Amino acid sequence: MNLSIRNIKIKRALFGLTMTAALLGTGASCSKIDDVPSTRLASEETNWKTLEDAKANLMSIYGLMRSATVADNGHWLMGDLREGDFTITNRSDLKAVVNNQLNASYPVIERVSNWRRFYAGINAASLFIERSSEILELDPRYTELNNKVDIAQARMLRAYAYFYMSRIWGDVPLITSSHDGDFIKTERTSQDRVLGFATSELLDAAQVVPFRYGGTDPIYPGLYYGGGWSSWNGNVWTRLSAYIILAHIAAWQGNYIDAATYSKFVLDNQSTQYYVDGANPLDYINMDALTENQNNYSPFAYKRATVMVGFPFEAGNGLSTANGHIEQLTLASPFIPKSKPEMFVSKDSIINIFTDPKDLRFSKDLVSGYYRTNYFYGFDSELPIFNKIKVLYPSQTSGNVTLFSSSMVFSRMEEITLLRAEALAALGDIDGAYTALNKACNLRGIVYSTQNSPDVIKAIFDERRKELMGEGWRWYDIIRYQRLKRSNAPFAEKDGKQLTFKEFEDAGGIYWPVSQAVINANSSITQNPYWL
Amino acid sequence: MVKTSISLSIALCLSFGGLQLNSAHAKTFGESSLKGYRIPFVKSQVDTSEYNAKTDTIGQMVKALQKFKNAKDTINIREASAVPNLSLQQIAKGHLAGLYVQEPNGEPGTEQSMIVQGPSGILFSKKDVYALQPAVYLNGVPLVADNPFAFDVQKYDYNRVGPANNLLAQINISNIESVVLVKDPFELAKLGPNAANGALYITTKNAKAGIRDISLNTYFGYATAPKVNTVNGVYENNFRRPFYEKYGNQQRYDDYALYLRDSTNTAYFGPSNWNDLYYKNTPTYSADLGITGGNERANFRFFGSGTKNAGNADETNINRYNVFFGINMAPFKWLTVSSNVNAVRLDRNRNKSLRDRFAETRYIPDLSTPLSPNKDNFGLYLDENKKNVDNNRTTSINGNLTLSSKLNRFSLQSSLFFDYNEGIRDYFTPSTLMDGVSYISTYFGYNQRMIWNNTIGYDFDLGDDHSLDLEVGHVYQGDTYKYNYARAYNGPNDYVKLVFVDPGAPGDSYLNALNAGNFYVFRYIDKELNNLLSFYGSAKYSYKDIFKLNAMVRRDGSSNGQPDSRWMTTPAVSMTYNLKDQLFAGSSFFNQLELSAGWGRNVRIFLDDRYAAGPQYRSESGWYEEPTIPGYGGVLGINRPYESGFIGYGIKLPYADRTNISLDGTFLNNRMNAAISVYNRNDKNQLVGVPVPLESGYSVNYKSGLEVNNKGIEFLLNGQIIQNPESFNWRSSINLNYNKNEVTALPDGYKEIINGDNRLEVGKPVTSYWIYKNQGIYNTDADVPAGHTFNGIPLFAGDPQWADLNNDNRIDTRDKVMEGNRLPSLIGGWSNTFAYKNFDLNFHFFFATGHKILNQYQATKYDFIKREASNDITSVKEVSSWQSFEKEKTYPIYNPWSDVNAYRVDQDLFLEDASYLKLRSVTLGYDFKNASFLNSSSGKFRRVYLYATALNVLTFTKFTGVDPELSNYNGLYDGANLTIPRTFVLGLKLDL
Repeated sequence: MNLSIRNIKIKRALFGLTMTAALLGTGASCSKIDDVPSTRLASEETNWKTLEDAKANLMSIYGLMRSATVADNGHWLMGDLREGDFTITNRSDLKAVVNNQLNASYPVIERVSNWRRFYAGINAASLFIERSSEILELDPRYTELNNKVDIAQARMLRAYAYFYMSRIWGDVPLITSSHDGDFIKTERTSQDRVLGFATSELLDAAQVVPFRYGGTDPIYPGLYYGGGWSSWNGNVWTRLSAYIILAHIAAWQGNYIDAATYSKFVLDNQSTQYYVDGANPLDYINMDALTENQNNYSPFAYKRATVMVGFPFEAGNGLSTANGHIEQLTLASPFIPKSKPEMFVSKDSIINIFTDPKDLRFSKDLVSGYYRTNYFYGFDSELPIFNKIKVLYPSQTSGNVTLFSSSMVFSRMEEITLLRAEALAALGDIDGAYTALNKACNLRGIVYSTQNSPDVIKAIFDERRKELMGEGWRWYDIIRYQRLKRSNAPFAEKDGKQLTFKEFEDAGGIYWPVSQAVINANSSITQNPYWL
Repeated sequence: MVKTSISLSIALCLSFGGLQLNSAHAKTFGESSLKGYRIPFVKSQVDTSEYNAKTDTIGQMVKALQKFKNAKDTINIREASAVPNLSLQQIAKGHLAGLYVQEPNGEPGTEQSMIVQGPSGILFSKKDVYALQPAVYLNGVPLVADNPFAFDVQKYDYNRVGPANNLLAQINISNIESVVLVKDPFELAKLGPNAANGALYITTKNAKAGIRDISLNTYFGYATAPKVNTVNGVYENNFRRPFYEKYGNQQRYDDYALYLRDSTNTAYFGPSNWNDLYYKNTPTYSADLGITGGNERANFRFFGSGTKNAGNADETNINRYNVFFGINMAPFKWLTVSSNVNAVRLDRNRNKSLRDRFAETRYIPDLSTPLSPNKDNFGLYLDENKKNVDNNRTTSINGNLTLSSKLNRFSLQSSLFFDYNEGIRDYFTPSTLMDGVSYISTYFGYNQRMIWNNTIGYDFDLGDDHSLDLEVGHVYQGDTYKYNYARAYNGPNDYVKLVFVDPGAPGDSYLNALNAGNFYVFRYIDKELNNLLSFYGSAKYSYKDIFKLNAMVRRDGSSNGQPDSRWMTTPAVSMTYNLKDQLFAGSSFFNQLELSAGWGRNVRIFLDDRYAAGPQYRSESGWYEEPTIPGYGGVLGINRPYESGFIGYGIKLPYADRTNISLDGTFLNNRMNAAISVYNRNDKNQLVGVPVPLESGYSVNYKSGLEVNNKGIEFLLNGQIIQNPESFNWRSSINLNYNKNEVTALPDGYKEIINGDNRLEVGKPVTSYWIYKNQGIYNTDADVPAGHTFNGIPLFAGDPQWADLNNDNRIDTRDKVMEGNRLPSLIGGWSNTFAYKNFDLNFHFFFATGHKILNQYQATKYDFIKREASNDITSVKEVSSWQSFEKEKTYPIYNPWSDVNAYRVDQDLFLEDASYLKLRSVTLGYDFKNASFLNSSSGKFRRVYLYATALNVLTFTKFTGVDPELSNYNGLYDGANLTIPRTFVLGLKLDL
């Protein structure tokens, strides 16, 4: 009897206890649903709050722009193949580009002709321009000057994207704000307007950005995001970068007066990055720096001041990749374990291009009797390997790890000097043009003169062809050259009809088609007429 | 934040200290009135009614497991247990109406997919497959599956990083009491959001009272090597000749594949006998032991098993070790405690295919020289492979602890469920196999689920005719998914097979492998939580035995929903009407006839926590070929998810609305049971990426509003067709499902959405192909209509003639049609058992029809020019491609050099009927239990069953490849997956 009473008591006690526990559990769990912040992303609640947010968002614009230019090796596919010096070994898609079949049905061609990758960078830049100042109030470490300089970089990058795109597609939709979360359909904007916008943005930005970040530049003194100039040089864009892009936009538009002015500004201010703040200097580079990854100057192997406009892929930051580098297309045995390169410069082309017997890039060494291998290895063989750029993880010139670290270099001293020569030549300052030209090739063993090269414009473009081979310039140089020359010789053929360059350009032939995906997604985008 | 890990360890302690749940119908299951044969569902119904009347203490709590009293759709465990299947998917295949199981790979232990009553959503990428899987409950524990978020850091999605073991290979059939496919709307609503895609409810054999009960099962056999027609370079040259004859020119001949040029090279032109080393007869075996014992107040079950399941190719196999322990106790008359724990380890030996290796290493070496078909050369390659390390291990533990108490008319139950599984992969491949670069990767990841469930019930006393049960409950579920993954290239030599760290380095940097040796290391870390909280109330009313009404309403909140829409209230209702008593009360034909109808709604929770965050920023700045670029200038950048797509506000939780009407009856003295049901399911509010102007920078914009409808009809028939206990018996069961699937709405009123190679259109199946119509070949340039182009590229002789459906003289995506379905419309299975005295013979057929395959294998084969010219993952030529197939089709000889990509796979040229009928298994057995030599010695044996089983015996199909099941989720047959082996085993089952 006692037992059963006790039993019931225990029973009730336990029962009550369990009920209470259940109710308590229920109450406590509610917050578990509402309070589960993701550790995998930043939301509107967490982004744009601190100095670090500004840094992470700004660097991402650079990252997106780097990806936009090099994705699928697009920088080289679009710059070096059309009318270019490279012969394709096997790849049918590359052959199609060489043969000007830019609408051929290949995944790589489809992807590179999709401009979304640039607009991702543009949108990120616009968003940064609109939002980054929110941080000023929240984080006292983020100074007004820091913010101004950051926004100026974002504007520079966005302007660069528009310039880069309009070289490829001509008229592109000009979108200058983020329209965040709003998906508007925009038509193509005329190239003049797009480039006009880019020019004014760059001019504004150029008034703000310093010559050096994190150093002793009075425009922006002191560390930049905790880093000194030697950690930022070659990574972020400076005032010189802005003027280089400005010079290129002007030259592309045939406005050589401005091109001359802007390029002069750049060359006159070389000293701002020359042996200052403990970093390697900005200078013309010798053959070792150009082709052998020499440590202090190589623009390809390291992030150095010599990358005036460009994007590095630093091995130490886990950025070595297989795709996104010229090496994937051009290197083969004995540099990497690969039987054949995907493209090469044929023997005939090499002989036609490198005519000067003293040219250190390629010529026969009169002392040893061997061909120089700086640019081409195995000239005697059927497939000379174009080995000018060869940066294997981390910064080797050959090896088995076919992950590459070479920077995407848009401009360096030689390049902007040649652009200045081009501008002077176009403006009729022939002496000035020769001077600039010879300054650019001073370390290449050759000298241009009215005697050996009476056509200075041709000489400048010949030198660009040699110096910038494999740097994504050839096609755009041909366009500027043809525009200057106004030749009536047949340039291209369409549907069995010969076209002069002018006719070809007027028909839209210099531009790439837009991928079908772009048109499917926005019906107000029209195809380039040449590719209809 | 939830510290589920702490709770987990508590649960573990409790359950080891503890106790276990019983399944009551196990008791009645053992003794069948039909000598040696039984009809499980009929029995289980009988069990159920018997059970309801029971009031014994241990039986009480079994209520938790006995959720599916009305379920007819179960696997005949006795028949299935003689078949040497590894995974749940294989066990269930062809046995359950409406469950479509596809085994896309014969490699043991690889992931397999199940789809219940049609796909509820899109199947654009491998990730989507995960979102369509039904929940699998093991003794009430909804097992946690791998989360597809790891695909975010992968370049190729052939396999998920890590061991990629099939987590549903953890259940040994010898320990299973029942497998029920739950499709009833009310029952699914009661199971809650986990079960939005349907549920498979598995109850293991459990502790029960009675004298000691021991069972021993074992089998041994072989997975047999297939016969293949091997070929060598001569075949390949002959295959290529017509292309060169028709379209060759000097330059094209100059580029002729190097390895095929020299016919004296024995590596490619010698005997083609690679198959001797590749395919082997491989032993496959298993043994298990189950012990049950105890009394009415405390009883237990122990089960242990070891299994080796072998494939026939590439030395693939998986080892499984499984231990199960369960206890029930009734310390007081009103309180019962039960617990069980199931622990599994899976060790898998994976294939050594080039594709899977390159996909893991993300590193494509020079592919211009393929593997040799010659045994001697191939053997050298295999020898190098012996330096590989490839450990794939999954360790899993799950279980539950349930306390039930009953006080007068109140009942209270509190349960703790947990499931934890962790996967480890160590991978090393030597420099000799990767052009001088060694590769190492390590993966550790876990999935963890913790559930706490409390219910209170009250049973009203309303007299004899009426009964009413009320129940309210609360469930909290916490999931955690996590992995760490590191890849490294270029180790110092081929002996160092681990990423090593530098113990001498100062401070924290000793763990920095980046600086140690030459390793180039990439690291990936990810973690995600997903919590779910639910409250529900349900009522069961019945009037006599005539009418039953169930109704419930529940409210679920998911942490993966957006703040303004993470809670949702959903109702469900079902009714059952006993026609037999009303209409055929006097009939002796019917034993039972019921009409039931139900409607229910299930919330579907997102597998990814990104959708909860709204507009967000992630580190996504790579591109197609290099998807995981970590940042810029040593800074981890963050930006909008341009690549993966915009996620805005206003994303709602998706849900599934189900309606079901079924009629089922038992007749002819319980010998036959038939059920027919019709269902309609609308999966609403689902997320899909809608196209946006690409000038926004985004690939797509995720919007709620995709609605998919599946409707269909199911038929089940089980019967003892010939019943003659003393001589011949024939039992047969058939299941059929016809499903029709279509997209009924898209977000924002879109009528169509294009996403890469996929297209959705309202009114068309969600898994439709989107392809060009091929109408032949242009034999001469003159045949091509003037100005006719493919996307602007002029067509010439040798190019395919694609249909210009919109007559604009231009072939482009607007000329593609939605045709063919990747998933079958009619599936079913047919199982038969013939018995004569102590002999029995079972064979099981299953089939699927109405679906199509795109034969990518042939497309790639014919496209050899471009494939070999590009050095990417599609250019890989596996050793197994040195064979020809019997039914192989020949395709027109197009110009393989043409820029229009003549052999593109997205055309109906490569679309094939994938229907098949397979004889899945044949078992012949003999039960010695009555044999005098056994009985005379001990007399204790309840069953001594010796059997022989053949698995994957025959396939009937029009498909021209090896096996229509071996296609990927996207319907592409790439020939890369290993074939499903034909396996023969001899087994023994001993019960005493």
